[in-house]
Amino acid sequence: MSAVAAWVRRHPVLGFFVVFAIFPWVVPYKSLATQVLIYGLFALGFNLLYGYTGLLSFGAAAYWGLGAYGTGIALAKLKVTSLWLALGAGLAAAVVGGAVFGFFCLRRRGIYFAMLTLAFAQLLYFVGFHLADWTGGDDGLRGIAVPAVVLPGLRIPLDRSVVFYYFALVLVGLAVAALRRILDSPFGTVLQAIRENSDRAAACGYDISRIKHLSFVFSALFCGLAGSLDALRLTVVPIESLHWSTSGQVVIMTLLGGAGTFFGPFVGAGTFLVLEDLVSARTESWPLVIGLVFMAFVLFLPKGIWGTLTGNSAAPK
Amino acid sequence: MQRRIFLKTATLGAATLAFPSLLRAQGKEPIRIGFPLPLTGPFAAIAGDMKQGAELAVDELNAKNGILGRKVELLIRDDQLKPQVGAQRTQELIEKEHCQFIVGGLAAHVQMAINEQTKKAKVLFISTSQSDEITAKPDASTITFHEALNPTITSRVVGKWVMENLGKKWWIVYADYAWGKQNNAVLIETNKKMGGTVLGSTPYPLGSAEFSAHLPKIQAAKPEVLMAVTPGADDIAFLKQVKSFGMHQQMKLAKPLHWISVAKQGGPELYQDVYGGVNFYWELQDSIPEAKRYVEGFNKKFGIPPGDYGVYAYSAVLEVARGSELAKTTDADKVAEALRKSPQYNHVKGKQWWRACDNKSIQDMWILKGRAPGKTKGDWGLLEIVSRVPANEDYDRTCAEKGHTG
Repeated sequence: MSAVAAWVRRHPVLGFFVVFAIFPWVVPYKSLATQVLIYGLFALGFNLLYGYTGLLSFGAAAYWGLGAYGTGIALAKLKVTSLWLALGAGLAAAVVGGAVFGFFCLRRRGIYFAMLTLAFAQLLYFVGFHLADWTGGDDGLRGIAVPAVVLPGLRIPLDRSVVFYYFALVLVGLAVAALRRILDSPFGTVLQAIRENSDRAAACGYDISRIKHLSFVFSALFCGLAGSLDALRLTVVPIESLHWSTSGQVVIMTLLGGAGTFFGPFVGAGTFLVLEDLVSARTESWPLVIGLVFMAFVLFLPKGIWGTLTGNSAAPK
Repeated sequence: MQRRIFLKTATLGAATLAFPSLLRAQGKEPIRIGFPLPLTGPFAAIAGDMKQGAELAVDELNAKNGILGRKVELLIRDDQLKPQVGAQRTQELIEKEHCQFIVGGLAAHVQMAINEQTKKAKVLFISTSQSDEITAKPDASTITFHEALNPTITSRVVGKWVMENLGKKWWIVYADYAWGKQNNAVLIETNKKMGGTVLGSTPYPLGSAEFSAHLPKIQAAKPEVLMAVTPGADDIAFLKQVKSFGMHQQMKLAKPLHWISVAKQGGPELYQDVYGGVNFYWELQDSIPEAKRYVEGFNKKFGIPPGDYGVYAYSAVLEVARGSELAKTTDADKVAEALRKSPQYNHVKGKQWWRACDNKSIQDMWILKGRAPGKTKGDWGLLEIVSRVPANEDYDRTCAEKGHTG
């Protein structure tokens, strides 16, 4: 197992594609695989900010929700017929949201930062709740017609769950490659320097507030792409997308898999969702089981599943 | 492994490999009904009643040769009262468990997320919780049926009855979310249409039931009727505060819906003389033979009388069976067509029927009133039946109003 883990660590993007190309044939059903893929990306985006930059945000739901509503509203209300345009709308909403909220939240550090991210996310939740003409309010946004993928000389309808999975895999894979590129760049190294000691990073001459802001926006971008894909997957955007419990869920997934490790978030999302799927079909007390598993990991394997397997974690201290 | 056991297993295994038809002959594949419900969370009590109603229906079907001679399996799933979970569970039920039908859901927003999945997968869905949208465009579909009442019917029926029997000057208090807002709007419309006055209408955030700031204002306005759209645990908090202000002696109290499990929790001191509508009440067994059969069957299996929402689940499962038998298939379009062609049914509370244009179940309602402490009938008989309101399509919006053409 750890040999596989070591190989995946050395060839992250290739490893990702190989593992997830087989993945839907291993799990009980296809749309569960898609869910893992999308939530994995969500956790990956969150982990860029938490695991790599050392900024604990409780407001990841805001960017997930902006991505989901951006794409959903484009398709359901503005009747956009291009899938790419709809995805672009979701990404744009998340990036703008990340840039604006990040600007304010990053004025403060530590718990104040965390509370500000939470406050902004809840603010969006109530805006979404009351703008029912656009968002569907607490009934959720429905009527999302997913257009086919149109590439030059190619038209692929996404109505079959296996086709949708591989469509999502391509986009999530591109995001994974992009994130790898970001982390391997000098910019990525500075992020980790900020995580370890932001005063020292500043003393080295880095403009840390600009770099943190950029990291915040990148994180929002990845979370937004995940939300956007989820709107296409479920063809409905529930108001709960913006709720703080969604932010909490992504924190749990990341810690379970291993914060500060590259694939930890994917492993965490997969473990959480597959466990939830299997246990909740058998007992009504499934939250108890998940809670115990989570506690066991935090207490005995604080590096998370992936961090323990690869023997490497750079979880923020 | 013991040699004998090994031999037995090996022989059996070989036989199965050689004659796979042996296994198949034991029975045709069962028909599976998927049932997402909020088993955890604030609606767990009502969901429990629905689960039991569905289980009773499946038991009865299997005792009588199932559906189309095939055994019926019920697959209950926890949707956690969250739309994304409801949607995911529905996908699981369809993709992994190969359910031919989806029945269930409680709370409008989860219904609609489930409905998106069943429409995509072309699986027949019978929704069992209040919602105005699910039978209207763009949510409606030819394979989506709605067994429950909706805010429009509920508030028109109860509103009209209150106007005729309790008073015409109202104050409304409502929870500020979709179901609350819809009831408030329909109540105001009903009141105006019948020449009444709504002195005021106060929203409050669902789940944070603190009314003491509003109550003096309401008291000063002296309405004849205080209408409370206060679901679940809010209802108990609301009635407690109203009591402590002595308002129950100054005005009549009414609400669109009584929830029997909530009333039992609140007790007769709070619910005495509180009026409300209901889709079913177990004391109907005294007047309706089908209700008597249902209540007795339920009591025998679970040791308690049935609640209100469980009836939706029971009736909807039996409608899946009736439709399949009529169509002689489980194909969604054909079953839906069969139900629309023979729309009348009576499983539990007298005649109901599917309106052809929007697949809405049209059914009787009853007005109940809280009994005084000491006058209750056992643990569950907190309410008494005051009036029956016969089924009438005019209580719902017309199909044209719902966006259906032709």
